[in-house]
Amino acid sequence: MISKFSLLTNKSVRGDYAQQFKQSLLEVLAMLACATILIVLVGIFAFIGVQGGRYFMPMSAYQITTVHTLSHAQDVQGTGTSVSDRSVQKEQIQYTLSHLSAAELASSLQQKLLIQYTAQTQEMPKIRVSAADSLYQINTTSGQTLVGKFVSLQEGSKVSQSLANLVVLQSEVARLQQNLSDIQIQRLQSLHRAISELDNKQVARDTPLYQTTLAEFMLWQAYANNIIEQIGSYKINIRLDSGELLSLAINKVQDIYQPNQLSSWQSIGYILNKIVVFISDSPKQASTSGGVFPAIFGTLLMVIIMAIIVTPFGALAAIYLHEYAPDNRLTTTIRICVSNMAAVPSVVYGVFGLGFFVYVLGGSIDSLLYSDKLPSPTFGAPGLLWASLTMGILTLPVVIVATQEGLNRVPSNLRSGAIALGATKYETIVKVVLPMASPGILTGVILAIARAAGEVAPLILVGAVKFAPTLPIDGEFPFVHLERQFMHLGVFIYDGAFHNQTESQVSSLMFASCMLLLLVVLLLNLSAILLRNKLRNKYERL
Amino acid sequence: MFKLFEREALSVEEFSKEQTSVDVRHLCVSLNAKKVLNDISIRIPKNKITALIGQSGCGKTTLLNSFNRMNEFISTHEISGEVWIDNRNIYDKRERVSRLRSQIGMVFQRPNPFPMSIYDNVSFGLRIQGEKRRRFLDDSVEKALRNAALWDEVRDRLFESALTLSGGQQQRLMIARALALEPKVLLLDEPTSALDPLTTLYIEELMVALKQQCTLIIVTHNMQQAARVSDYAAFIHKGELIEYSDSDSLFTMPNKQQTEDYITGRYG
Repeated sequence: MISKFSLLTNKSVRGDYAQQFKQSLLEVLAMLACATILIVLVGIFAFIGVQGGRYFMPMSAYQITTVHTLSHAQDVQGTGTSVSDRSVQKEQIQYTLSHLSAAELASSLQQKLLIQYTAQTQEMPKIRVSAADSLYQINTTSGQTLVGKFVSLQEGSKVSQSLANLVVLQSEVARLQQNLSDIQIQRLQSLHRAISELDNKQVARDTPLYQTTLAEFMLWQAYANNIIEQIGSYKINIRLDSGELLSLAINKVQDIYQPNQLSSWQSIGYILNKIVVFISDSPKQASTSGGVFPAIFGTLLMVIIMAIIVTPFGALAAIYLHEYAPDNRLTTTIRICVSNMAAVPSVVYGVFGLGFFVYVLGGSIDSLLYSDKLPSPTFGAPGLLWASLTMGILTLPVVIVATQEGLNRVPSNLRSGAIALGATKYETIVKVVLPMASPGILTGVILAIARAAGEVAPLILVGAVKFAPTLPIDGEFPFVHLERQFMHLGVFIYDGAFHNQTESQVSSLMFASCMLLLLVVLLLNLSAILLRNKLRNKYERL
Repeated sequence: MFKLFEREALSVEEFSKEQTSVDVRHLCVSLNAKKVLNDISIRIPKNKITALIGQSGCGKTTLLNSFNRMNEFISTHEISGEVWIDNRNIYDKRERVSRLRSQIGMVFQRPNPFPMSIYDNVSFGLRIQGEKRRRFLDDSVEKALRNAALWDEVRDRLFESALTLSGGQQQRLMIARALALEPKVLLLDEPTSALDPLTTLYIEELMVALKQQCTLIIVTHNMQQAARVSDYAAFIHKGELIEYSDSDSLFTMPNKQQTEDYITGRYG
């Protein structure tokens, strides 16, 4: 009796347990999935943040000494002289800048050598890495970074061994450059114009007027050349790791410092300076240094133009589909098509943009309006306008679907309320429905912006380039040049990731751009979400 | 049969043309290809409250909606017959529907204030009509709110969102919104079904007071309410007008068995 009873309870307990397990299994699985997503998200942000942030950190200078041990049978570096000693050691010195510590750098170099030497019979060279505190880092105005030992400052034939004079020399150079530009602007320009006018009037070259003008021009030109020569004579000499002595004109030096001896204040200054340069400068040295300002500018401008195009189009299309279109099979088909448009691969849109906008539309605009410039294309080449239009088409379904959902959320009794008060359908839509649907429209625009800012594939086809010499907006009439090619952060990252994989510095620049792209998209989204919430509070408290 | 009370109400057959506000002649309505109203003829008197009663789905809301042509807005429809308001057939081809609706106020079952301020809600109809004079709008809003017995409660917060009002206040706001256009006819579609008894009483008092200004037609499921406030009542069943007379006789001694069954709660 007792045993039977206990068996029963046992069974029911087991049933309970199975039931409970079933209940909690789903919960645990859901929690795990959520946690994984959270970890992945945090991971992405942390990884990009650390990698990108490192770009702004000051680097340390190291001296890498590679000791090659050569056995007697081998030639010394292909010189052809055979060495009869049993072994000879040859040292090779290299200066380098790195974010890594000396030990980390040594091990990473060791790794590389290991891969290089596994297939070879040669003995692997030994590597010594030591901090090189006396080294100077020079950033040139063209974006190059040089590392070397300071040798001397040169002022014509005068040579001084101390770096203290640099400030004096720099101010001297600045003064000379001011002089030069004064001469160029005030004298040479006007003289040059005068001469070309004379040329235009076909004044003979041996007339006194022409002669005197030309002579004056020559005089000033010679003076300017003299100054240029003078500027060039101010030099800084450094010895590079190859042993070569490099003379660098002082006006080419942007800044010079000893990276291993920066104080913490100097480090902060360095970081801030690097951030400012990154945001405000254009890329230099084939996108390996400098900043990404044109890419930020291009991204934002493209996204703004796209939003201006896509918002009214998408909203109007959604209003027609939702409010006016008769409820028949055709409308349903159109709705399904619009939703499916969002699933079309973006590169297809890119090809469409290239084929239709650039070649057909741009080509016909060129032949109609810019026929004097042909065969060089104006609008018939990839450019900002076409990129914005292509992205507009790409994001159109997003806006339409979101707007439709917004319209759907407007309660039907508000519509009938307005209609019953004598409002026509148009007045109802404009005064009651649209304000209430505006958060939905904004949601669509947010999604569209986020998508366009991060898209790469179609942009490469229709106008985004890895380096654009000019911005699409400048002081030149008509100020906004929609036909120009532009830079885009996504394309910039794509390019950096694919073409400069070897150098750690560059991949950092890429990561920094990645971080920036994340920030730009987040910022755009955040502002739009805030605006949307404001509208929601106003219109959706029902 | 002796009379308990002296009846002052006219019999429904005796309305003169001047006393009639809405004259429905042989109205048939099909919504979504389904016959909802079948050959309804009814004359609704001026400055009285007429109640339409009947079970759900019998067509009384459809009848109400056909007085301001709201059926056309709601779904596919087919309408024959005539509805005469103010000596014109509102189903005439030349009738401007939006102007008609602005002359016939309507209050719905659930309050549906626009997400705007109280002031904007009340002045919405006038602004739709193109009224821009600020002074006139101010006066109309105040008058409408006073008529709807809401003025004292909202006079200090006219520019707050209408959504901050309570349910009963919102329903009175809806009445004010309709009154701002000074309609000749006010249609009320179960105006108190979503409200508590006290607020209901409030609205009922308001309706009685509004009789001075316009004709009220009310759809209700609440028999007591219909008996309390209405002067005339029409019982509709399955799209047919079964009985129409003054409320006293309809609720105390209905002529038809169906009506009696319904008002005593035997079906429906």
